[in-house]
Amino acid sequence: MFYAVLEGLRRFKIPHNFEFVSIISLYARWIREGRLNVSSAWNTEGLKFTVQDPCKLVRQGIGDEVAEDLRFVIRQVAGEENFIDVWPNKSNNYCCGGGGGALQSGFVQNRRACGKAKFQQLQATGADVVITPCHNCHTQVKDICDHYNGKWQTTHLWNWIVKAMI
Amino acid sequence: MENTIDLSRRKEELRNHIKDVFPESNLDYCLTCGMCVSGCPAADIEGLDPRKLLRMFVLGQEEELLSTRWIYTCTVCGRCKHACPMGIDVGRIVYVLRGMRPKDQRPANLQRSCELQKAGNSTGIPNEDFVWVVGDVLEETRQNEPEWAGLQAPIDKAGAEYYLNQNAKEPTVEPEEMVPLWKILHRVGIDWTYSSKWWDGANYCLFPGDPKDWEETLRKQVEVVDALGCRYYINTE
Amino acid sequence: MNNTKGSVLVIGGGITGVQTALDLADSGFYVYLVERTAAIGGVMSQLDKTFPTNDCSACILSPKLVECGRHLNIQLLTLSELVSLKGEPGNFRAVIRENPRYVDANKCIACGMCAEKCPKVVPNEFNNGLGTRKAAYLKFPQAVPLKYAIDAKHCIWLNKPGRCGACAKACPAGAINFDDKPKEHILEVGAVALALGFETYDPSLLDFTGYGRLKNVVTSLEFERLLSPSGPCLGHMERPSDHAIPKRIAWLQCVGSRDINRACNAYCSSVCCMYAIKQAVIAKEHAAGHLDATIFYMDMRTHGKDFEKYYERAKASGISFIRSRVHSVWPAGQAVHTQKGFEYGHDLLVRYSDEDGHLHEETFDLVVLSVGMQLSASARGLLSKLDIPLNSHGFVPFSSFSPNSTSKPGIFICGPVSDPKDIPQSVTEASSVAAEISALLSSSRWQTTKTKEFPPERDITAEPPRIGVFVCHCGINIASVVNVKEVAEYARTLPGVVFVQDNLFTCSQDTIVNMVATIRREGLNRVVVASCTPRTHEPLFQETLREAGLNPYLFEMANIRDQDSWVHQNEPEKATQKAKDLVRMAIAKVRGDQPLSANVVPVHKRALVIGGGVTGMVAALSLADQGFPVDLVEKAEGLGGNARRLYRTWQGEEVAEMLQSLIDRTTNHANITLHSSTTLERTSGSVGRFKTTLSNGKEIEHGVAILAVGGQPWRPSGEWQYLYGEEERVKTLLEVDELCMADENVKATGRSPLLSQLNHVVFIHCVGSRIPERPYCSRVCCTHAIDQALKLKELNPRMNIYMLYRDIRTYGQREILYQEARAKGIVFIRYDLNNRPTLTKDGDTLCIGAMDHVLKRPLVIHPDMVVLASAVEPRRDAGELSKFFKCSINAEGFLMEAHAKLRPVDFATDGVFLAGLCHYPKPLEESIAQAKAAAVRAVRVLAQDVVPAESAVAVVNPAKCVTCGVCAKICPYSAISKDPVLQKASVDASLCKGCGACVASCRSDAITLKNMGNEQIMAAIEAAMCNCGG
Repeated sequence: MFYAVLEGLRRFKIPHNFEFVSIISLYARWIREGRLNVSSAWNTEGLKFTVQDPCKLVRQGIGDEVAEDLRFVIRQVAGEENFIDVWPNKSNNYCCGGGGGALQSGFVQNRRACGKAKFQQLQATGADVVITPCHNCHTQVKDICDHYNGKWQTTHLWNWIVKAMI
Repeated sequence: MENTIDLSRRKEELRNHIKDVFPESNLDYCLTCGMCVSGCPAADIEGLDPRKLLRMFVLGQEEELLSTRWIYTCTVCGRCKHACPMGIDVGRIVYVLRGMRPKDQRPANLQRSCELQKAGNSTGIPNEDFVWVVGDVLEETRQNEPEWAGLQAPIDKAGAEYYLNQNAKEPTVEPEEMVPLWKILHRVGIDWTYSSKWWDGANYCLFPGDPKDWEETLRKQVEVVDALGCRYYINTE
Repeated sequence: MNNTKGSVLVIGGGITGVQTALDLADSGFYVYLVERTAAIGGVMSQLDKTFPTNDCSACILSPKLVECGRHLNIQLLTLSELVSLKGEPGNFRAVIRENPRYVDANKCIACGMCAEKCPKVVPNEFNNGLGTRKAAYLKFPQAVPLKYAIDAKHCIWLNKPGRCGACAKACPAGAINFDDKPKEHILEVGAVALALGFETYDPSLLDFTGYGRLKNVVTSLEFERLLSPSGPCLGHMERPSDHAIPKRIAWLQCVGSRDINRACNAYCSSVCCMYAIKQAVIAKEHAAGHLDATIFYMDMRTHGKDFEKYYERAKASGISFIRSRVHSVWPAGQAVHTQKGFEYGHDLLVRYSDEDGHLHEETFDLVVLSVGMQLSASARGLLSKLDIPLNSHGFVPFSSFSPNSTSKPGIFICGPVSDPKDIPQSVTEASSVAAEISALLSSSRWQTTKTKEFPPERDITAEPPRIGVFVCHCGINIASVVNVKEVAEYARTLPGVVFVQDNLFTCSQDTIVNMVATIRREGLNRVVVASCTPRTHEPLFQETLREAGLNPYLFEMANIRDQDSWVHQNEPEKATQKAKDLVRMAIAKVRGDQPLSANVVPVHKRALVIGGGVTGMVAALSLADQGFPVDLVEKAEGLGGNARRLYRTWQGEEVAEMLQSLIDRTTNHANITLHSSTTLERTSGSVGRFKTTLSNGKEIEHGVAILAVGGQPWRPSGEWQYLYGEEERVKTLLEVDELCMADENVKATGRSPLLSQLNHVVFIHCVGSRIPERPYCSRVCCTHAIDQALKLKELNPRMNIYMLYRDIRTYGQREILYQEARAKGIVFIRYDLNNRPTLTKDGDTLCIGAMDHVLKRPLVIHPDMVVLASAVEPRRDAGELSKFFKCSINAEGFLMEAHAKLRPVDFATDGVFLAGLCHYPKPLEESIAQAKAAAVRAVRVLAQDVVPAESAVAVVNPAKCVTCGVCAKICPYSAISKDPVLQKASVDASLCKGCGACVASCRSDAITLKNMGNEQIMAAIEAAMCNCGG
């Protein structure tokens, strides 16, 4: 999990020789640099995409910059016109409701109540696909979709990049 | 009245404890404005919200604070702090409260994830299994998809530029989800590696609230990555 | 030799700078008023209405701007900035750069052709970017100077010479000058006033507000423009996204204020609560009641005079006040697929928590962010150039005892540059600065000023009426509706009219010059101007008559704009007919107008100050330092008033030492005569020549008077008694202040301090304030109580302190104390009137009962001391005193100023001024500023040898008078008395204000108002009724 490493290195002042990066930042950089060529031509049906901003990566991690990268990659992969943002978004986005150990803690009813706000904002987008770059978010977003009768498909980003690679 | 709070006997140990371990929490600065409540996905669940939690510290409601389950409904998402005019970090205060709870009174799965993580990964599978699964899936892909016959999934490759981790869910539950990432990295052409010693991308020891456990697991990871000599540590989530 | 310069540099042309300039220019100094933009007026000119009077901002501001623009002793330097300043108090050398306007101000007739033809459309900063203007522009319709300018950044020609030039071709006056260059002015001045104003916080820095990304989230200043008739939607109140009329509006308070997290402005901006309420009230008026207005807030800070009543009225009118801050604003409803892709609707969703912690969602059409104040980058740059440092909150630090001084002698500050403040407070400080400068430069008063010389008046008594009529187009203001040419031709046909002219702008500089020549050439002896309104323009035209050697009362205005073209836009023919009627009436009336003599009263150059508290002493010292003798009257034996019981200011300055030096200076000043243990017996006379008899038998002649009679702490009683007076552990703030001072003494003697023994202390706020009997906030108590609690914490850091409050009102940087108090563990518990705290005694144990506002659980506290923050009330004798000077008091017994916004220290009665607690509860620094402000307002009179009195006064025809005495009783100015010889009513022309009350009251038809008699009025009415060809 991004924050656990980023904040841990900072808080415990752990000496290290590497630079800590998110795969999302790299996807965006590689596409911008032309090292990863993608096209949305595959999306002939006009599948609509929206996104979840993981708290630990965006608000508590890198901030709006990585949220912009994330949207950039999705727009490249799915087509500019096929992306619709959620509100609120980026650093101000709602938590999925499953983070911070909630998925592991087992209070299912509370966790789903906590995910209600997330469900409502995702539902308001009318998107077919919700991209969840974090595994915790992925599990929770899928669960609230099933629980509250959403219709979207919850997926990782990498499947779509591969689909769009040219 | 039954639920009357006698402030002349107000307890301050817990409040002072927070201020000791987390002086920049700004705990006392709360204006009780409700901005956190209106932005909190966990508000009004179990009758609690960030404002009430802070108020319980101020009014010395220590038993309630140490026993509420709300601290496991709060996902420490930090949305309260994001807008709080006083920048109060309720999430970190929640972590402190979680950490004050005896281990046997914590949600069992949450604690177990951390204990397993300390031993290597949060699922508890032996590292050899990870190595085997990666090899197996790689082989299968190379065979089934001829255009990806050259696909790589290096492990413990010293001197690789990038160290990569993987959420433990993939090698254990949905191994095919690892393949797309390999393909992307292959297409971009970077020099990367997994580590057989520390490959789990999660770190559940943050959540139970024991900073020592969190630090311990993180130090292990750092050791592994630095030992490989990688310039970049890629987190996949 | 006197090296002190008699001129002053005022930087900043907002209302604050304008007021400083006017006060100084009227007190005998020459003023350079430097303004960065193309016109003076500042933020106030952008506002729609102002609280608490709901006056139109532009309407009350415009006359001041016009006065400033026309003042002989004020030189406006627009588009100008300070380059450097060197020297010392009394003798500075300032270099000013005046940037090119590219329009020759002497030639420009403000016809607007340049802007009409200019092809370059740019965002209009006057409307905060809502709507557009041209590169050739007038800053706003009532701009002073009323001159167009060309925006060099956007002008096509200036960027690519030869490419456009449309304005130059269109300008009928040949005023466009693309070769205009910056000019440097070197000014020798004795002092500098900085009135640098403020800018609003930029909420795009707070992502959760949605500002900058959601079109219907606007700032409060943008909303002022949406309401304003001169704004982008001409006052129709539309929302930006789709021009729909909003039916549901939310205000979010404290955006960029009271925030140490993201906004980094820890202070309260002081004005936002009131302007939000005002906006909600005005928006409701705009929507004819069909508006749901909701204000989301944390503490409602209506701490100014009449603010609390305004708040209560707003609540009663159905405006919702929700005590909850809103985390985020986002689009309401589902996204829909359109041709442009996905889109959310225009409405906005707001999720909030009620006080119990339950969540609610509400949809709004428009969200207004109540943005806070901060210094602009240009103001900060200027201050750094002057080497004046800022404090950690970004304001210029100030001493509570000298609130308008800076670290640089001779350079003074006023307005929000030192702390966020509202218009009355800023205007007060503007005058206070004028007082400081007037004292500093008093040796050079009238040394550098110019005097207007008028030619001798022509005797017209033997002449038949020769009337000149000037009909104004007012650009397109009149001419787009009224057929001006037709009106002019019609006027020509009326009896007595010998000259008629129509002008694009009758008030422009060139037309005025032309009018003087015309009056002389044509031998006119009556003038009618048909144009805007006499309210703003009558003095200008009357002065024009004087310049042409005509008596100024041979003049009438026909109001064919405000009362015609503006209100009958859709009926041009009828409007033209009405214009003719109005012109005909004015001509009929002016025909009978007679020259009136200019009444004047010689000024007795001596002041009376009543009240020997800090305010009275400061006022007396200021007058004395400005060179005028003062009689200071104090009821008590000693000086000092309430301040004797105050321990320290909220900035930590101890009061006692300051007070002693003030008393010493007052007692020893050569210009001050002190009358202690003395009261007023009676007063007569009016501005310039009052006569007052004191209880010590002395009779004083004085030109002006300042009432600084103070206020007093309310003694807790009734349901707010809280055992006060029965239980010695219950004290008031002032009593604890006295203990604090005693403690300081105890500390000095090494014995253990008295207060530090306490373990549990409870403060109860709003004791006696904000209740039906006293429906006002006492303004000072929140800050005083919190500062006192902090003092107790200093004495004993382990003391448990609880504050029971209704709203914390630590406005401005006082908010830092509130923050500090919370940080130190002082617990704040909110109560409301339905759930007041209780105090009982069980044996010897005190017991406070309250309800926690967050956990909603009952609380008990067993305190060692209870401190009551009791109300400040006016002195009972204030009303009596005010009657001596024909001044009024409001319902609560506070003295009533002439205008709450722009004349905060004047009374409606000329020559009488007020300051301090008798006006409203306030802290020391505000009383001191007000005292100085009152002093300079008084000096504006004392500095003159004579003051003008009303000329259009009432006269009694003794032949008709039956000496019934009704008129004398009804006269609000006591101007009528019985003539001892004739035994008939007689009007003292120097007291008469020309109100006409006596005329209406006289059953014998014996009284006439000069030029308003039956002769003139009936002529006008007959003209209105006749159908003579118009």
